[in-house]
Amino acid sequence: MSDRTRHEARSTVAADDDGWGVLGELPGDFMMWVLIVSELLVFSAALLAMLAVRAGDPVRFAADQAMLDRTAGALNTIVLVTSGLCAALAVEARSREARATARRWLAGAGLLGIVFLAVKAVEYTHKASLGIGVETSPFFTFYYLVTGFHAAHVVAGLVLLGLVAVFDSVRNMETAVAFWHMVDLVWVLLFPIVYLVR
Amino acid sequence: MAARALVQAWGMLLALSFSTTALTLVDRPGATRMGIAVLVLVLAGVKARIILARYLGLAASHFWTRAFDVALGLFIAIAVAIYFIGKGG
Repeated sequence: MSDRTRHEARSTVAADDDGWGVLGELPGDFMMWVLIVSELLVFSAALLAMLAVRAGDPVRFAADQAMLDRTAGALNTIVLVTSGLCAALAVEARSREARATARRWLAGAGLLGIVFLAVKAVEYTHKASLGIGVETSPFFTFYYLVTGFHAAHVVAGLVLLGLVAVFDSVRNMETAVAFWHMVDLVWVLLFPIVYLVR
Repeated sequence: MAARALVQAWGMLLALSFSTTALTLVDRPGATRMGIAVLVLVLAGVKARIILARYLGLAASHFWTRAFDVALGLFIAIAVAIYFIGKGG
């Protein structure tokens, strides 16, 4: 067997050992990507269903939507996007072995996540004081369903960020932070559809 | 990804978020409102793409960048289509 043939054979074995094809190009943990895609599909379906509710009765939808606090929603966009940056910087710091710095960035991301939830709680409390609940209208049913489900993901993300601050391998941190970015990603799609599109 | 690139992505996300908010301050009925709604949805898609490419690291894979672009584009297209079914209120 020539050197060239041996080299090609080794390359084929290496490719077969990998065995993931394009799936191997996904950064981080593959199962986290399965979760991310699943969550994106669920939220996408819910948001499109909400737009379908609007198509059924645009006037009522607009009237209900006008009762939302857009300023709070916009503030939460800035908070969550900034939190995503902190989380990304945590991974960047951890990958160059700056573990204490990584933990500080994770703490920053977590604190901003808590701020997000606090703003959301203020919004919910205000709606409750006006007597607005899940059964007020189809718009508010979807509003509570979609934003509540998203808030539950923020809570789950906070737990994950806390866990990887302790068990801080690079892989753990990448995986938890990928989940946090998914939460961020969902919000940038959710906010305009729920709060802004008139 | 380098810290500088991450901060740049954050800056773009903030700029797009402020642009979106500024757009929605214009409240005119009819075609203008519809145009703004479509623009807001497209900007949301652009922001989502930045998060996928820069923060979630898909920029490193041409295949997955394309795949998520197609999925995201499809989502925005369907959202715009349903929006027009509602005739803009």
